[in-house]
Amino acid sequence: MNSVREVLRLDRVGKRYPMGDTIVDALVDASFTLNEGEAVAILGPSGSGKSTLMHLLGFLDSPTSGEVIFEGRPVAALTERQRARIRAEKIGFVFQAFNLLPRLSVRANVALPLAYNSAPPADAEARVDRALELVGMTHRAHHKPGELSGGQRQRVAIARALVNEPRILLADEPTGNLDTKTAAAILDLFQELNRLGRTIIVVTHSPEIAARFKRQIHVLDGRVTEGSA
Amino acid sequence: MKRLFSGVINGLAEIWGHKLRSLLTISCVMLGVASMVVTTGFMEGFFGTWEASLQEAGGLEKISGVPQSLSERQAPFAPVSKGFTLADARALTELVPTIAVLSPEIDAESSRLTRKGRRFVGRAQGVTNGIFEINRYEVAEGRMFSDLDMNDHADVIIIGSEVTKNCFQPGENPLGQFLDYNGRPFLIIGVLKHYERLYGTYNTLNWKNDVAFIPITTMASKVQRSDQLSWINMKSEDLSRLRETVDAAANVLAQQHRGLIDFKVKTNEESLASYASTKASFVVGGSAIAGVSLLVSGIGIMNLMLASINERVREIGIRKAIGATPFNIFSQFVAEAVTLSLLGGAAGVGVAVAMIQGLGAVLPPGSAPMLAPSAFWVGFAFSVTAGVLAGIYPAVQAAKLDPIEALRYE
Ligand SMILES: Nc1ncnc2c1ncn2[C@@H]1O[C@H](COP(=O)(O)OP(=O)(O)OP(=O)(O)O)[C@@H](O)[C@H]1O
Ligand SMILES: [Mg+2]
Repeated sequence: MNSVREVLRLDRVGKRYPMGDTIVDALVDASFTLNEGEAVAILGPSGSGKSTLMHLLGFLDSPTSGEVIFEGRPVAALTERQRARIRAEKIGFVFQAFNLLPRLSVRANVALPLAYNSAPPADAEARVDRALELVGMTHRAHHKPGELSGGQRQRVAIARALVNEPRILLADEPTGNLDTKTAAAILDLFQELNRLGRTIIVVTHSPEIAARFKRQIHVLDGRVTEGSA
Repeated sequence: MKRLFSGVINGLAEIWGHKLRSLLTISCVMLGVASMVVTTGFMEGFFGTWEASLQEAGGLEKISGVPQSLSERQAPFAPVSKGFTLADARALTELVPTIAVLSPEIDAESSRLTRKGRRFVGRAQGVTNGIFEINRYEVAEGRMFSDLDMNDHADVIIIGSEVTKNCFQPGENPLGQFLDYNGRPFLIIGVLKHYERLYGTYNTLNWKNDVAFIPITTMASKVQRSDQLSWINMKSEDLSRLRETVDAAANVLAQQHRGLIDFKVKTNEESLASYASTKASFVVGGSAIAGVSLLVSGIGIMNLMLASINERVREIGIRKAIGATPFNIFSQFVAEAVTLSLLGGAAGVGVAVAMIQGLGAVLPPGSAPMLAPSAFWVGFAFSVTAGVLAGIYPAVQAAKLDPIEALRYE
């Protein structure tokens, strides 16, 4: 066996939302390990807890029980500043709801992570150009997000996640708004990045898409199981 | 640097994004800064002029002996009281070595000076050359008095620029000409320097220009016909020996006046003290105005920043999710607040300049504010302070937002 490096590990992670009298268990006892260079699809019906899981993996949210461990260090022990640094340097996140800033141009949106990153400002322009080109959005660089279609916004969101060349890419339904051809192009891109050693985690509803990944994780009512598509 | 710059750009974009709201806030800061600058202008102008007058009146080393009515206990001796005489002046010179310069003066308050049908009511004084040093007069053309002038009770006169202006044609040289005073022609031997310090269009030093000096001996024997002095001015050899000199002078005068305290020996310290206390109370008043303006500007900025943060919760969440540290968010909002207040500050200084110019044209000369260069720095420092102080609280609130809560915010 060649040596594998652990990137993210969940140890009996639970996320519980209090909803008045009742409580919602969005995630129950989730435990698994993601190694460097893996490509993983996360599958499950709507409301099963996929986005919750992704937020925990990107430490945007903290679990109500259990531990998230990043490169051997419990995330709960990191300061908010340290978490922000890791997000800025090592993680790219594609939100299910895109989360573009409406007042900024496409270009400025894509460039945003570089303002918080230690990348030399000199190649910022070149990086933004490259990221826009990868998703085929160069021709809309000076538009505002409001002037784009859903699929176009999704591609801008992907470009923004790629601009800092993250070692880990977390994408929540990145192809949900795309036609089959564009979706296939994006998935090819992800696979290419994975071949170059990046760790890729993608949420999807589609078994066909999931089948293109080496590993599948199913989420059902907040319970996580390993399995094949 | 890259962050600071992008912070300002971002701030400008936000301000542009909410034109009306930003305009109101900028107006708040503008009014605050403008009132600050105008107030400072008033104070600078007023105190600068006052201070210069104090200097021109002889500075700190000056000591004055002035007549004073007798105390109640000594009142019965009033008929014996003769006031100051030239003998007193001589005694002071002989007996108090720490007096460096002495100037006995006879002041004939409003005196008519005439020449060829032109006349001028000025202030004629019988003096010695001591007055030039003690009261800071300078003979610009001609000469001071000579010993001969003094001994002979000569009819010679040294005049100020106002006298020249009123009794001569423009361009005419008064030196060597005659001027009538008290029905007697006086030869003009000297012309004083023209003194000027403008406060608006008002020359606050003009009192130094309407004088005419004649030898004190001439004044005593030919005009006043008694050698009673109006007062005696002295200058202490050294500031450190001021007290000693004052006491010695008082003793000598008491001796000369046979124990009648019909005089007072005083220094400029008193007027300096009243200058200092007036200035102190103005500074307190000015600071109160500054404080209120700062508060008003600060409230305006803080209000806008809080509203803006409330609207931009989602933006803050997004920025944090892609790697902004709490400090990044904090500095972004402080930079925005400072950008806003700097715009207000610049506008405020502009308004203040216009106001000062407007007031200068409308108000009577002497009470109009002056534009002190320091006012610009005050305005600048003021708006940065207001921006930073008012920006801190909202910025801390923004930096504390939990990214996931912020992202979920609709
Ligand atoms: N802030 C919240 N408060 C209460 N319940 C929540 C909250 N966020 C998520 N949930 C609940 O947690 C469960 C999982 O939600 P999640 O968004 O993870 O689903 P999902 O698998 O991403 O669904 P979809 O495929 O529709 O995006 C849902 O039942 C949802 O109602
Ligand atoms: Mg989801």
